[in-house]
Formats: sequence, C-alpha cells, structure tokens
Amino acid sequence: MSPQLTLQAPLDLPPEEVNPYLHRLWTHDLEGSTGAATFTLVVWEPSWLEQQMVRIGRVDGPITGLLRSELLDAARQAVPETGLPYSTAPMDPRLAWAIGQKEGNHRPEDLRGQFVESAISAHMPRRLITLAPTLDPGHPLETLVAAYCPLPEEGGAGAACGDVVVLRGGMGALKQSLDLIGSLVDDTLPCWVWWNSSLDEPSEMLEALAPVPRRLVIDSSLGEPRRCLDLMLARISAGQAVNDLNWLRLRTWRESLAMVFDPPSRRDALGHVVQLDIDVEGDHPVKGLLLAAWIADRLGWHLITSYAVEVDGPGPGITAEFERTDGVAVQFTLMPVPMGAPKTHPGAIVGMRLICEPQQRPPLCVILCSESGGCMRLESGGMASMELAEGVVPLPEESEEMEMARLLSGGHDSTSPLLAAAAPLAASLLPG
Amino acid sequence: MTAILTNPLRVGLRQERVISPQCIVIFGASGDLTHRKLIPALFELFRQRRLPSEFAVLGCARRPWSDEEFREKMGAALADEIASHRTAWEQFAQGLFYEPVDLQQPDHLVRLGQRLESIDRLRATRGNRTFYLSVSPEFYGSGCRALAGAGLLADAERSRVVIEKPFGRDYASAQALNKVVQACAKESQVFRIDHYLGKETVQNILVLRFANTIFEPIWNRNYISSVQITAAETVGVEERAGYYESSGALRDMVQNHLTQILALTAMEAPGRFDPEAIRNEKAKVLQSASLANEEEPWKCCVRGQYAAGGSMARPLPGYRQEPGVNANSTTETYVAMKVAINNWRWQGVPFYLRTGKRLPKRLSEVVLTFREAPVHLFDAAGGAPTPNQLILRIQPDEGAEFKFEVKAPGSGMRSRPVDMAFSYDESFGEPSDEGYVRLLADAMLGDPTLFTRSDEVEAAWRLYTPLLALIEESPWQLPVQPYEARTWGPAAADGLLARDGLIWRRP
Repeated sequence: MSPQLTLQAPLDLPPEEVNPYLHRLWTHDLEGSTGAATFTLVVWEPSWLEQQMVRIGRVDGPITGLLRSELLDAARQAVPETGLPYSTAPMDPRLAWAIGQKEGNHRPEDLRGQFVESAISAHMPRRLITLAPTLDPGHPLETLVAAYCPLPEEGGAGAACGDVVVLRGGMGALKQSLDLIGSLVDDTLPCWVWWNSSLDEPSEMLEALAPVPRRLVIDSSLGEPRRCLDLMLARISAGQAVNDLNWLRLRTWRESLAMVFDPPSRRDALGHVVQLDIDVEGDHPVKGLLLAAWIADRLGWHLITSYAVEVDGPGPGITAEFERTDGVAVQFTLMPVPMGAPKTHPGAIVGMRLICEPQQRPPLCVILCSESGGCMRLESGGMASMELAEGVVPLPEESEEMEMARLLSGGHDSTSPLLAAAAPLAASLLPG
Repeated sequence: MTAILTNPLRVGLRQERVISPQCIVIFGASGDLTHRKLIPALFELFRQRRLPSEFAVLGCARRPWSDEEFREKMGAALADEIASHRTAWEQFAQGLFYEPVDLQQPDHLVRLGQRLESIDRLRATRGNRTFYLSVSPEFYGSGCRALAGAGLLADAERSRVVIEKPFGRDYASAQALNKVVQACAKESQVFRIDHYLGKETVQNILVLRFANTIFEPIWNRNYISSVQITAAETVGVEERAGYYESSGALRDMVQNHLTQILALTAMEAPGRFDPEAIRNEKAKVLQSASLANEEEPWKCCVRGQYAAGGSMARPLPGYRQEPGVNANSTTETYVAMKVAINNWRWQGVPFYLRTGKRLPKRLSEVVLTFREAPVHLFDAAGGAPTPNQLILRIQPDEGAEFKFEVKAPGSGMRSRPVDMAFSYDESFGEPSDEGYVRLLADAMLGDPTLFTRSDEVEAAWRLYTPLLALIEESPWQLPVQPYEARTWGPAAADGLLARDGLIWRRP
C-alpha cells in the first residue's frame, strides 16, 4: 500500500491557535463524525539522512520522512565517499553526520508528518503528532494541522476520523513547543511515542516526549550500543512499555530457530547446547546480542563471563560463557563480519550456528543463514559427524511504518516479556 | 536431564492481537456450555496473557447465584486445570461476576445495564461488551430484542452479540431470525458461532489452498473427480436426547459444520485475507451448491439411525433405547448425501457428505480424489492403480496425507500406492487451542472472519431445504435405515457412491 497524504491541505497556524482550531474542528466542522477512540501517536521524525541527502542534491525532495528506496540507494553509494567502512549501513547515524559535512544548499518542500502510511491510518489514530526538527537549529516553530479520515477501502467507512499535527522547527523551537504537545495528548487514550531516530541524540527531548505510561518505540540498532541497551533497560525497569524495532526485526530469526525445534524428536537437543555462534554485519552487536540473550533466557542459561576479543573484522568480537541448568558450559561467540552490501539497519544478522550434543545421539548442528548473505564461516569445520539442520531466514520486507502498524495492531500495553527478559542479558553480554 | 516437553523457543513468539478492555456477558451462565467450554476458554486466554487486565465476565441466568457462588461453581468445573494454575485462577476469578437475569423481564435488563456500568467502573472495561447468547435457540431472537430494547446494543463499535448454533431450524426460520437480529444490531456486531471454524485444521484448509501454488491449479473439475467430507462420531446421543430428537444429524452436523468445511474446500480464492472477502466467497459457493437431485432428494440422500451393537462384553443400546428418546423415533443419527456445486470450477464433481453417531471411529476429514492417469502404463500391485488422493485430516491426528503411486521394488514395473503424510503433532508437537479459545478471542477483537454471516447461514439452510421439506412432508420416501452401532452406517450409504462407481474411504 502506498502512503497517503492527508485528505485536506494542512493549515499553517500559529502555535497558540492549534488547540482552539482543533476544538472548533471537532465540535463544529466535523460534527456528525466521530473521533476515533483509539490512541495518540507522537513521532520524533528528524529524518537526518533524508534531509542531508536532499540538501546536497543526492535525492530529490520533498522530504517525506519515509525510507524511500532511492534514498537508501543514494545513501549506500555515498558511504565510500565519506570514508566510512563499506559495511556501514545506510541508517547508521554516522553516515548522516558524515554527509552533513558536505557542501550543498538545496531547500526542498518538507512534507514530514503529512504522509500517513495506509497501514498506520488503518488503525485510525485519534491524533498523529509529528515533531520534525530541521537542519537549521534556528528555524522558528511552524505548526500545521489537518483532519483526516481513513479511505473507505481501509475500513474507514465508519468515519472514525483523526487529526494530524506537525510541529516543525529548529531544536530550540521544538523544545519550546513541549507544553503544546502535552496539551495535545489526550490522557484518556493510550499514547505511543515513536523515537524514529538515533538514541545518541540529546536525551532531553526523549525524556520530555516519553514519560511513563506512554508506550515507547525505539530502534536499538541506531546509536552507540551501550547507550541503546542501557536506555532500553532503564525504561523497561521503570515499568514503561518499550517496543524495539530492532528486536521486532529479529522475528524471522526467532521463528526460524523455533521451527527447527518444533518436531518433538529434536526438542531434547535444546537441553544439550554446547556452542552458539552469531555473525553480524558491521560493528553494531546489539541485534546479535538480543538474539543470543533470547536463546539463553529461553533455555535457562546463566551468564558466567563475557569479554571483547580482537578479530579480523570491522569491529571487536564478543566471547562469552554460559552455564546450562545442568552445569555444563556453553560457549558463545559474536563475530562482526564485513559486508559489501549491508542491509538498511546496522548490525543485521548474517548467520547463526547452534551445536547440541545430546546424550547417546549424534551431535546436532543447526545453521541458519540470512537470505542475502553467505554463511561460509559458520559452515566450515568439523561438522561431518553431526546431524545438520540448515535453514535460510527470509528477510522481512516491511518498512518501518509497517513494523509500527504491526505494533499498533497488537495494542500491547506492556513490554514483551521476551524482550524484557532478553534486554538485561544482552546488556550484560556487552563488554565494558 | 529430563526431556523438554514443550519447545521453549516457541513460547511467546506469536505476537497476538490484544483484546480491548472488555466485559463478556454470558447469558445461560448456569448451563453446560459455560462451565464446559466458555469459562475454560476464557481462562486459557487469560493464562496466555491475551486478555487485558481490564477484563470481566458477567454470568447471567435465572438462578439466584451470587458472584461468589458463580466463581465457586466455575472453579469446581475447572478443578483439574486450577490445581496446576492456582494463582492464575485466583487473579482470573476476581473478574468473574454474576447477575440473575431473565431476558424476558424488562426490569432485569435495566438492572443488567446498571450492573454493567458498575463493572465498567470497577474493572475499567470502558463500555466494551460482548454478549454471548448461550441460551436455548428459541430465545435468540427475543434475547437480541431485549438487549436492543435496553439500549445495550446501541453502540455498534463497543457492543457485540455472539449467537450459538443452531441459527434457525430451516431456511424460513433462519431468515426470520436474521431479520430480528438485524433489526437489533448491525451485521458487524453479530457473531454467529460455529465452533468447527475455530479448529486449527479447518482453518488450515484455507492456508493449504491459498498459501501454496501447487494445489490451486489442480483444485478443480479438470483434476478432481470427487470429494468426500466425513464427520464421524463414536459416541451416541448421550445426554442430548431432548435437543437431538428435534434436530437430528442433518441439523446438528451437516447444515453447519460439514457445510462450513464444504465452503472452505470449494470456495474461490478471496482477493485478500479480509473477513468480508472470505465470507463473500463462502456465501457465493454455498449459493452455487445444491443437492445432486433436488427434484427427488431421496435419490441422493440416505438417512440412518443406529441400532444396538457393540460387543458381548460391552453392548451398546440402539438410539431408540437411549434415555429420553421416543421408542418410535424417526430422527436420523446418520446422514449421507451427494451435493453438486454448479459453478465453473466444480461442475460435474460430486461432493459426498456424511456424518453419523456410533460409527467405528471418531474422525473428521476431507478427501479429494483425483482423476486417474489417462493411460495405465504399469501393472498395479493392487490390480488397478489407486487414484491419487489428498486427505485433510481435521481430527484426530490432525494433518494431511497424499496418496500416490510409486514403483514397487523389484524387477518389473509394478506400481503401488504410498502415503506422504504431514502430522501436526510430528511437525509442531504443540496441542492446538480448543476452538472456543480462538473464536471467543476473535469475537472480542471484533474479527468476524471465522463466524458465519447472515447470507451464509441462509444459503446453507437453502441448500438442504428440499431435504428438510421431504422429511417433513413425506418422510416415508426417505426413511431412517437402521445400522448396527460401531459400523459405518447403513448399506444404502455405500449404494449412494456405488451408483457412481465409487466407495467411501475407510479411514
């Protein structure tokens, strides 16, 4: 489904006029239509990469806030010019920063917040508030307001409508708009805050936008790994419902591994794992650590030690030792591997290997490989005597917005228990 | 180390949709279905963390129980389950309430409304309500009227009504009931339940057909010669004589369960996985279906009734000897029939449906028999090559099986049939949820995909109208034929297929 624009042109209003206008809209103009009693979605939408790429003329405007394929292609092409390693993913915040050092002064139209992904609008958000920081830190605050109704084919025939509010400006102006945002969030409805950017950004805005009990959506692949994990852990510990898109993108890996052990004849082997290896793209280990932590938690392993190791790759590797419930040691290695064509987000999984040594049965070696990568390293060495179970893990083809829509459709008001269990273990696995 | 019984990596993997804060109101809460199926299903949902914390169950019936008595009775019915999940039960039971209600008494409805408002405040259920009519079928219409009269169905977004089967006794009564129900609530609020559709394997028919490319191109008259749908029970009428005497196998099993399986097996591919798209296709195929001989239905249908049987050690009474059954009863406990689907895909392909009580095995299955190879090149070990068959096993031993010919080992070129089998147990090793778990969750989520729409119900009744009319008006033309308990039905049922040169599959 292609994203849709709001059905009416957004109205540019002074900030102090926004609330009175919305009140008028719902009590007079849209009389007879029901405001959907659903949720508020607040999106922090800097789209730094897109803004920078448009500014230097590598992609055409307008700025939409959506991850268009031409934007990703142009970003991949720009990686070598910035001096970053080839393994740098297009969404790596370092790339946007490096492109920011280049000359260029294109000033396209900015439509952030005005495109509503059909999958999201199908859930009929009552209010969609987008904060769109500009490259120019001194840009004054602009507030745009529009009502919208989902199209009939999206199930919008009941005319349960919502409204869209866009706050655009420099960081200083946006900080001054926080009171306005507070007044726009209806406390009687659930509120989701989607931090659609790097977690390395100054924390005041995140703190202000996403207090408990608002449901927070982050992406732990964007930002310095320790900071990503610590922030996630702190929020979960504080009782906030945290959803991590990086964790959600692990879905196909978790599903594929679970499938290997669905046949009851293989179940017993899960109690006899002796080795776990995970290869990740580039130098961002969080996704690999979350996968390892999930496995360890589900199988009841206890972490003994974890340390960084120098390897011939784009970053340090991680080696750890777990203890199984029966006291036997499990060796874990996370290896960063260079990639010529990395996936969109940093630290995508390339492959994983799980070796089990059940009693009185031949060892079992499970190798799962990413659809787009090779697993030569994991497939090499000493497995001739083992029962081999190999699988290819499909790449999820969904955009960020589709992932977000999936979250909204779930309606979960607490952190997934699996993520809540895996996050602290992943944080412990990260050395230093 | 002890063997791992469940797959620990599977736990919590499905990202389930979460049900909105909700109060489910069960009318007929003192009845059998509530403690046998509904409360266990809701407790299962609670244990799977699929119910929100803002959740309540309000049991309603005429008996003057208190909340505490209702909790105790439900707890007693689930004693075994609770023994291993006591803490969960204690939390769940806090959300169980009871209100004595007679749906025919307007003042009771007023009181019910007030009670619901107080539950909304106590449990933060936000006015979202699902009313479950687990009452005698003659009260479905009046129950809906009473709820609508009290304004409890006025909010189409927040109130739903679930209606148990049977929905009507025939085409006319189903139409009349639909009119009443639709005058009380929008179609989107009405959930007509058929618990067969909650079964994993019934839903799997859709996935097997429409998620694979190998089946759909051959799923038609060019490749399939016949289809058999069987739902066999080993049990007799048990304690249901009162109901069964007036319904019989045709109304109890065929019009709903078997017809739903027929629709899923024969429908066209929906444009998208969307409740209305799926129900449109089901309704369309049922509208194309008819008895193979509508003018003379006795020629395409067999009715039977089980007679005494069993073994010397464990003799089984005949239907007429069962408690509560008329000694001269002509109610059928077995029915077999030939149905035609008059559309482009299925023209000329007979669909044989059969169901019965006190048969040798408990099973439900769909058998698609493919056309024979045009030329028999090889000797067949069995004398003649066995036609390819795809068998979808709905219960027990859920799965699928494909029969095809291979070369028998040894010199020469003899063929013999083999099976390629898929078993849910072997592949997944996890018990699937009881049908009511899935269906209750879907109803509370407002997802009608697995519920029957008004036009589907009417089309299903219309299909059997000639037969029902015949049984009503000239039953001697289609008498119930006795069959010995624990046999595969009357001989005439075999004759029904023999006329087409076919035999029933012996599972």
